[in-house]
Amino acid sequence: MESDSEVAFSKYGVYIISDSLDLFFPGLEIKIDKISDNVFSYLKKDLEGNVTEKKIPVKTSELKIEVAPIRPLNYPAKRTNYCFLEFESPVFLIESSSATIFVQCPIEIGLFLIHDSHKDSLDWFTCDPANSRFGLYGTPESGTLCKYSKTPIVGSYNDSLDYFNGVIKINLKNELPGGHSISKIVFPIIDVGLYYKDTKAIFDTVSGTLKKKITLETFDVEPEAIQTDWTKSTDYERVEVVKRLKMDVD
Amino acid sequence: MAIEFLENLASFEITGGLTLLSLFIGAIIMAIGVIVARTFRLIFTKYYAPKLEKDAAQNLGKIIYFGIIIIAFLVFTGSTGVDLSGLLVAGGIFGVVIGFATQSVVSNLISGIFLMIEKPVKQGDSLDLPDMGIDGTLIDISTFSVRVRQFDGTIIRIPNEKFFTTNIRSLVSTPVRRSENIVGIAYKEDIDGAISVLDKAIRKSMPFVLLSPKPEFRIKELADSSVNIEMLVWHPREDWGEVGPKLLKVAKNALDEAGIEIPFPQRVLWQAKES
Repeated sequence: MESDSEVAFSKYGVYIISDSLDLFFPGLEIKIDKISDNVFSYLKKDLEGNVTEKKIPVKTSELKIEVAPIRPLNYPAKRTNYCFLEFESPVFLIESSSATIFVQCPIEIGLFLIHDSHKDSLDWFTCDPANSRFGLYGTPESGTLCKYSKTPIVGSYNDSLDYFNGVIKINLKNELPGGHSISKIVFPIIDVGLYYKDTKAIFDTVSGTLKKKITLETFDVEPEAIQTDWTKSTDYERVEVVKRLKMDVD
Repeated sequence: MAIEFLENLASFEITGGLTLLSLFIGAIIMAIGVIVARTFRLIFTKYYAPKLEKDAAQNLGKIIYFGIIIIAFLVFTGSTGVDLSGLLVAGGIFGVVIGFATQSVVSNLISGIFLMIEKPVKQGDSLDLPDMGIDGTLIDISTFSVRVRQFDGTIIRIPNEKFFTTNIRSLVSTPVRRSENIVGIAYKEDIDGAISVLDKAIRKSMPFVLLSPKPEFRIKELADSSVNIEMLVWHPREDWGEVGPKLLKVAKNALDEAGIEIPFPQRVLWQAKES
């Protein structure tokens, strides 16, 4: 494998392969070759020498694939539908105030086989396995297992790290009496859509509201679809209905 | 011919109103009952059970099956006009005798019912029975016994009574589990430096270890030859095999790479000078 500094990395998007295609990503390369009239071979190799090989029979003489960012739920194994983002520095909201922040959220990359207007999940990988980890929100007895990331607050959608993370906009609102710090946000990421353009990725918006429910102070988190001209990523995993978490106030 | 045969059966009386014909009809009713019960259980198992929890589906399947059998039996007794009161009296006395003789069987049956009500573990749960030295996956809780598939692939049958009264450690009732291991470093080594090396190695090479709560390190003992550091890491409940057995290997490799000594037991012998 060539070193990362020598190659131009591939962009997200749809590729039509009539003969062969090489895709390069940080720490990983993919090679697709036509081996007979209606069969292609797929080879993925990473820096640690792990190799994934598949044969893909197709109806036509061409192979059409899509490379797109997907939700960070598969590495090291699919165990949860929730994401736990801990801010590197907490946000302090004074009484009856609101704020909009942008934070980085990890992504994985999915490969989809396009045929007869269907998209089938072919493979996935992460360019950042060292930072793809789990975390627990709540107590070990009754908490929720999540994909965990300690994330900086960034300036805008442009601040994503190509292939490593996407940017998520979070609208925060404090309806509680007094000021409160918000240091983390936990949400079912399975409900949050992803969009891509070239090598960048962004997520749907997430709204978090500090509010009082009868006597209980809670932090309600809801996803909201965004309007954008970026291409919407295909869902890699089967989308399931998951319950919303009631977060505690810090 | 057939009518003559049936008339002969009807004329042959076994006991108080019970004829061979009524027994024959009873057998037909019971056979139909069994067929209907099996059909209903099959339909239930195929179309409805997959939507329910495994043990609930199994219990409901049994209730449907035996419920229909009991109804068929009641229809049979009703159609033959058999007076069961004598049978009940005899059965009562017989029951006492049988009860004494089959205490453990009845005990297992009752324990099975309580296990189904209490549900300390569900079908498919991983569990550990520390008193018996058994660990594995629960296959099912049936009328008299529990079957557990041990992690070595063998299946062990445990009488319900024993299972009900033993300590049961569920390995899957919480979302996460903790694994612990102890590693010793030489007295001359920097403890904080060694902990930092272990922490970095665990974060780097053990993807199933949770970052929140983060790995914890405690000085377990100032032992004879080493300072013993206890490593405590959390991981998803399903992934003990990816963490527990690998933790010491990761620790050993990391300490070796950092040049931190893991001492073996040493004893210094002082020999008295000969005068």
